[in-house]
Amino acid sequence: MTLSRSQQQHYYQLILYLCGFLLFWEWMRPLEKVTDTHNLTIFVIYAAFCFFISFLQVNWWLSMPLKFLGLVFILDGLFLYERLFSKEWFLIVYQQFAYNFEVILAQSWGEITGFFRSFLFVVLLWLMSYLLYFWFVVAKRIFLFVLMTFIVITVMDTFTEYNGQWAIVRTFLIALIALGVSSFFKEMEKEEITLMGMNRLRRWVIPMSSIILLSTVVGYAAPKPGPQWADPVPYLESAVGGNSGTVGSGKGIQKIGYGEDDTKLGGAFIQDETPVFQVAAKKERYWRVESKNHYTGKGWENTLEENVRHVNGGDLGIQTFTDEVETEEQFTVVNFTNEAALKKLVYPYGTGEVVAYPEEFQFYVNQPTGEVETRKNDRASQIPGYRMRINVPSYAYDQLREAGDDDPEDIRATYLQLPDNLPNRVRNLSRQIIKDEDNRYDAVKEIEDYFSSSGFEYNMENVAVPGESDDYVDQFLFETQKGYCDNFSTSMVVMLRSVGIPARWVKGFTGGELHQSDVELDDGESYNLYQVTNGNAHSWVEVHFPGIGWVPFEPTKGFSNPTDFYVDTEGTGDGTEEEDSADSTTPETGNPQHQMEIEEDFNEGESGTGAAGGSGNFWKYLTFAIAVIGIAIVLYVTRFRWMSAFLKRRYKHIGDAATYQKAYQYLLKVLDNRGMQRKSNQTLREYARDVDMRFQTNDMKILTHHYERMLYRNEQQSNQWDKVTELWENLINKALS
Amino acid sequence: MTQQLSLYEPKISEVLKNVNKVMVGKEGVTLLSMVALIAKGHVLLEDVPGVGKTMMVRTIAKSLDCEFKRIQFTPDLLPSDVTGVSIYNPKEMEFQFRPGPILGNVVLADEINRTSPKTQSALLEGMEESSITVEGSPVPLKEPFFVMATQNPIEYEGTYPLPEAQLDRFLLKLNMGYPTVQQEREMLSRTSGEHPLTTVEAVLTKDELIDIQNKVKDVYVDDTIRHYIVDIVTATREHEGVYLGVSPRGSIALMKAAKAYAFIQDRDYVIPDDVKYLAPFVMPHRIILTSEAEFEGHTPEGITASILENIAIPVQRTKHE
Repeated sequence: MTLSRSQQQHYYQLILYLCGFLLFWEWMRPLEKVTDTHNLTIFVIYAAFCFFISFLQVNWWLSMPLKFLGLVFILDGLFLYERLFSKEWFLIVYQQFAYNFEVILAQSWGEITGFFRSFLFVVLLWLMSYLLYFWFVVAKRIFLFVLMTFIVITVMDTFTEYNGQWAIVRTFLIALIALGVSSFFKEMEKEEITLMGMNRLRRWVIPMSSIILLSTVVGYAAPKPGPQWADPVPYLESAVGGNSGTVGSGKGIQKIGYGEDDTKLGGAFIQDETPVFQVAAKKERYWRVESKNHYTGKGWENTLEENVRHVNGGDLGIQTFTDEVETEEQFTVVNFTNEAALKKLVYPYGTGEVVAYPEEFQFYVNQPTGEVETRKNDRASQIPGYRMRINVPSYAYDQLREAGDDDPEDIRATYLQLPDNLPNRVRNLSRQIIKDEDNRYDAVKEIEDYFSSSGFEYNMENVAVPGESDDYVDQFLFETQKGYCDNFSTSMVVMLRSVGIPARWVKGFTGGELHQSDVELDDGESYNLYQVTNGNAHSWVEVHFPGIGWVPFEPTKGFSNPTDFYVDTEGTGDGTEEEDSADSTTPETGNPQHQMEIEEDFNEGESGTGAAGGSGNFWKYLTFAIAVIGIAIVLYVTRFRWMSAFLKRRYKHIGDAATYQKAYQYLLKVLDNRGMQRKSNQTLREYARDVDMRFQTNDMKILTHHYERMLYRNEQQSNQWDKVTELWENLINKALS
Repeated sequence: MTQQLSLYEPKISEVLKNVNKVMVGKEGVTLLSMVALIAKGHVLLEDVPGVGKTMMVRTIAKSLDCEFKRIQFTPDLLPSDVTGVSIYNPKEMEFQFRPGPILGNVVLADEINRTSPKTQSALLEGMEESSITVEGSPVPLKEPFFVMATQNPIEYEGTYPLPEAQLDRFLLKLNMGYPTVQQEREMLSRTSGEHPLTTVEAVLTKDELIDIQNKVKDVYVDDTIRHYIVDIVTATREHEGVYLGVSPRGSIALMKAAKAYAFIQDRDYVIPDDVKYLAPFVMPHRIILTSEAEFEGHTPEGITASILENIAIPVQRTKHE
């Protein structure tokens, strides 16, 4: 088997380029998982097609139309139902482009159509085929791309659902092969060796393959230390105000976002005091958003069938308690801030009806969870503000104590659920706590009190994330005993359920900070104004009492329940109606450390849909800034490459001394950048000798002699400009390769 | 100009080849002597006896078809022994001038530091002014006129070291150095038969040499190079270990030498390489160190080298030039 040098070159180039394609494939694999990209196979095939054409290095007038045709076929097959190249077809394409350009100009990124996104994606594939050809075959600089591939995979693995375990192994293999082949190829080129047939097999194919295989196997089999930094995701998410990785991943996120989010509780949070809404109310209340029913062992899901009712104002029909409960009619006003990005209603217990709100909004009430989505023009949007009539409940102790435990079957079926693998010690502990109590209310109070009396610590920073085999509640109760509201409330719900008391987990906001008191509103009543921030996001517990309904409880240390309870005078004969001080004291607003906690959930997935507020803007600017910085860095690092391409054109015909001086000085700079620095005391000839030695040429010497004539002899003209230009280009190419 | 230049270039190489036929491994010194010759300068050779100083000068003189004279300086030598004297001719009834050895074309002044300053100055006057004064009247020297003076660095007793100011008169100060073992063997084999000097023939006439000397003046020195020279020279004056730096005559010497060197390289313009190459031969003997620097072990050669290390080479034309 004999191959000529150039054939051999081709052969290596093919291997390199193939590796490049495989690495690029690794970039595309996660797309299906983390975005709503479908038909990935088609894109991979198109990428392969582009790579193949790039590799053939046919003339641009052949390759461009070929790739373009491929692009047209893909778009046609995926999106267009009209006959290819028919009049309607062109019309549709035109409309698509026109619409998308408008959308882009309006910066409504979320509204770009699938057609246009696919178009951009395909163009990107096209460009990548050029770029990788340049990197792998022309410049033979592979490491950068390999590194980037690793980074992409690790980031994808860390921050998205994508599991990069095998991707890393594959990339490792491909990268080693590519790097090995390229370095070997470079070496052969430098030393001008050709290895043929068996010789080649013996000299490098076998050693290289065995080393790669060996290191892969060892690397795969070797024990790996656990992560040093438990899981950065919750921390990072909270650090940016909860706007995590799902940016721009499509429509219909809200509910899915909720469901997904609470499935993995745990991890650290930091404070964020971005205001979410202001309320005018008679007194501080908890603001409910929704409840969840299904505990997974790691977090919460909502498994109840959706029962969404479209309500056009008026009575929302959210009933958490029965008519048995005494209520008092009040009014309250909620105004969202611009930074809120919450497309749901927040409401206090006893919501009767929304009495005043912007007319274009509709409410979609999900009965089982109590979640009320606000929509405008059929799209989830944040409502600026509204006024509510509420029937504030207050529960009588005796009534609660006498409620018994005869829960309806549907309540029992739903709200006693527990994961099968819940450790038994949780149940045992709960039984232990309530063993002396004979009624449900006292049992619930015992468990609620357990958290404030048993060495639990409220903490937002050192909060564990349950491992594969850990149970979130079990871990908190028996191992860490450190956590924030999610830990406390989830634990209480699970404990209650474990002893047969139906309970559910509720999310919302605490009452916020008193901003101004005794403000008179339009209705002539005086109200207090409260400011509720992201830090007030909270979760608590609702317990079901037969005949009474759901009663909120507050297990989290440092928080107190704003719900009104009273002692029934008739029953006790006490004669005075008083509020139970232990339960109805206003929360300690002076304790910011507890109040400023964040829950990432409420903002989850809601940025990037266009209507985002402050944090959304921040995110947009940050992305933009990173992109600009990234581009700047890339431009800077590759400055000599693109500058050279540009200058080559400009100095195409060096025709006078001044241009020549510039070109020559530029060459010196490029060489300097490539590690051949000229010392200031080195004459050009001495330097040229070094450079020629390095490149094994004579070009620099000749070029320098011309330059010397121009500089030291003050020659303005030369009859050899063509030659000079050629030498200069050669040297630039050599320096850059 | 390039054409005219290459007319002489083969001849100069021929001269160098001649000398290198006789001298083994002394290409550098030969080339530098040639530089001094065509730059109308003079050379001070400082080295121990027996390394071939005289032989080199004689070979150069012979290749040039020039009159070779030699003065062996001794403590009792009188100025008139150098310049020549008028002797009464009884037949003609008048004093006749009998020219001294300084009136040759190529003069070897051997062990110049062994004679009295008075006699030294007779030679040095000739070197600077191209004429000498005999009995009150000036006598022009021959053209071309090239002095190669030698001095012995190891004998100090009974010597009159040349005053520093006078060292300035020499364009270059060279060291011969010992040959390597191999060179010395080669030398022995060459001298075993007929001495190679006898086979040397003149390749350059006097007129041609004068022509060359005039052409050297036309070698182009760009502003950038002049700046470079001045930078180097100024640096010697500003150096803290230097008591007296290189004089303006030194900068002129450096430029002259650079021109000659460029000419020998068949180039009609000077490049920084020329200057950088010649500075270690042009400058050290024009530098006087402070006594502190001397005590610290610095030498003029070392200081020259360090200055060359630190001065940036001009590699582009700046705007105001």
